[in-house]
Amino acid sequence: MSESFEPKIVAFVCTYCTYAGADLAGTSRMKYASNVRIVRLPCTGRISPMFILKALQKGADGVLVSGCHPGDCHFAQGNYHARRRWTVFRALLAFTGIPEERIKFSWISAAEGAKFTELINGITGQIRALGPFEQYQELQTVIETQSTY
Amino acid sequence: MGIQEQYRKEAAELLSSGAVKLVIGYGEGTTADRRRPVFIRSAEYVGRLVLDANCVANLSAYLVQEGLLSDGKKVAAFLKPEGIRSMNILAAEAQLDPEQVVILGFDIEAGQATSLSGRNASDFTALIGSLKASGLSPELQKEADRLEHMGSADRFEYWKAQFSKCIKCYACRQVCPMCYCRRCIVDVNQPQWINTSSHTLGNFEWNIIRAFHLAGRCVACGGCDRSCPVNIPLRLINHRMAKEALDTFGHFAGESADQKPVLATFRQDDPETFIL
Amino acid sequence: MTRILLKSRLDDCLGAWRTAGFSVLAPVKRNELTRFDEVQAASEIALDIVITERTIKEHFFLQTEPLIKYQISKKQIETEEMLPPERKRVFFGVRPCDAAGLDIDDPLFGWDYKDEYWFRRREGSVIVTIACSQADDFCMCTSVHLAPDSTKGSDLMLHPLRDGRGWQVVPHTDRGKALLEPVAPMLQEEVAETAPVPDVPVKFDLDKVSSWLSDPANFESNFWKEISQRCIGCGSCTYLCPTCHCFDIQDEGDTYNGIRRKNWDSCSFALFTMHTSGHNPRNTQSTRWRQRIMHKFNYYRGKFGVNSCSGCGRCTRQCPVDMGITETLHEISNLPR
Repeated sequence: MSESFEPKIVAFVCTYCTYAGADLAGTSRMKYASNVRIVRLPCTGRISPMFILKALQKGADGVLVSGCHPGDCHFAQGNYHARRRWTVFRALLAFTGIPEERIKFSWISAAEGAKFTELINGITGQIRALGPFEQYQELQTVIETQSTY
Repeated sequence: MGIQEQYRKEAAELLSSGAVKLVIGYGEGTTADRRRPVFIRSAEYVGRLVLDANCVANLSAYLVQEGLLSDGKKVAAFLKPEGIRSMNILAAEAQLDPEQVVILGFDIEAGQATSLSGRNASDFTALIGSLKASGLSPELQKEADRLEHMGSADRFEYWKAQFSKCIKCYACRQVCPMCYCRRCIVDVNQPQWINTSSHTLGNFEWNIIRAFHLAGRCVACGGCDRSCPVNIPLRLINHRMAKEALDTFGHFAGESADQKPVLATFRQDDPETFIL
Repeated sequence: MTRILLKSRLDDCLGAWRTAGFSVLAPVKRNELTRFDEVQAASEIALDIVITERTIKEHFFLQTEPLIKYQISKKQIETEEMLPPERKRVFFGVRPCDAAGLDIDDPLFGWDYKDEYWFRRREGSVIVTIACSQADDFCMCTSVHLAPDSTKGSDLMLHPLRDGRGWQVVPHTDRGKALLEPVAPMLQEEVAETAPVPDVPVKFDLDKVSSWLSDPANFESNFWKEISQRCIGCGSCTYLCPTCHCFDIQDEGDTYNGIRRKNWDSCSFALFTMHTSGHNPRNTQSTRWRQRIMHKFNYYRGKFGVNSCSGCGRCTRQCPVDMGITETLHEISNLPR
């Protein structure tokens, strides 16, 4: 792996908690790795597993899914539903060989700008150490190649 | 009287009394050991019904055929315990009214078809509950364990090799009683979440999403696995999902017609071991 | 005296073809699936199977094929054609039905427009067929007027010897003759008896089928509903068929970059005929099954003078609900008229 590898990380976050937390990190002038691309959604309940697959399809090296702490959901139950879904989806991804280390989940509230900063920096470091998700990205490279016969 | 004769007779009675408009069962197939679904609408044809150890298909998928139950009339169906379970899920997901289905239940034990008592979905709750503890066949368990013990990268290569065979004929989807969506996610193109092309990436995405949508719903009838013309071991991936639903949420798919779908419900104290 | 290739010389033979610049594809069992794939040695070849689960069609008409790469910028649209390279291939051990399938599809791909993707591969390939020495319950070549040793679509035909030592070699085209040149030293002249071909029973009367299908009165017959009741609408029969050739064009990528692909498509799918408006002219499975049968045994014959079926039987063999062409045509043959 080359020294200069900078991972691409996509974060799917709910607007009420984690996005607000990220915003707080920004307004508090806390510095976090610029490797993360944040996609803001109304609620974790809106974060479909399809998003994770799409991120991987488009070449993400890691994915973070984050929302309000249990009990804090703006829509009361969205994160509880999401939690079940993630439990199952995460097991599925692991079973098909997509490393758990690349798909992360967290609860970050609007007050947790510092947690957001630490988490992003931590994940970025871990995924940088893992290197690019070549196994998956190769699937995309192959289809862009001419057939061999 | 053997089970086949007994059920032919019962089917004839149901049809001639007008209790049901249709009996969905098995008939002889192309070869001696093949059975095919048959649809009997009149008592004079019940002789076509066959019931023996070769009757493996889960016929509950036909219950949700468009328009079949919309007239409120009843149909009878030959169902194994898995079939009854998937029917329960269909009922729980508001796809059918279990009152409209007369179950001609059977199971296969030691190479023989045996009858199950009860004709309504609710009669089988105890039987289905008792299946909870039954694990995988030793052969399948061995293969499942082998995969669990692989490293991520090897497991990825394993599934890559398997999914690269996929031709996206969608036999797995079409044969599955749970896949009743009028428009499957893979056929949705605005936005196009999944590549429709049958290259390995598209196949990977399709198979992952198929398995996810069956999580906590698959009853392991084996229909997709048997139907796959390129022999992808779908049973392994389905089993892994069923195991997750059972181990983590205590959910055994299709226990009863009023069971809540596992991913449409939650408990505040659901386990969470991985959330940072 | 006939020319004989002994099994013991097969390895040398494959080697000679490879030296002559050919890739050799043969029936193999890999990853729990039988299909044609590239081989290096004779030991990799699965010669004892009745028929591969997948057809050789997939090596001419790919399940997904990139056609053009596009790039759209503010100034211009750039496209790059992704034609397959010219490559010489030998398909060794093809079954006569699969070979005939290629021949049946040739007029389709060369009719109003010459499909370069198909013909480039066709022209670079030599089909070496082995006459069948076994058949299963699903084989039906004789019903469509072919045979376990028919030569339609074959450049070279190998007839198994009775004693199992090898094959009698008979070229049928110039391409087949040319393929024998590099392997001439491995062949021997000998008097040898060939094995009998299996007896494949005729399962339907093709003439009766043709006349029934071409009668417009039968288009709306209730027969179609009854025969297709159990069809679940998957595409396995079409995708495993050596002659089915329908495809869909898909753009994969985004507004600015992507690849236009040609993908297999199936008349069994509801989406196949779905209009943008939501209207679907073939909105039931029976109309789709009717289309499949009509296309193969009526329209295709009307247009190209040949039925679009070579009798391999895969449609029934692999059908999840034990349907298929054989049963439908058998029933049509027996309809009262």
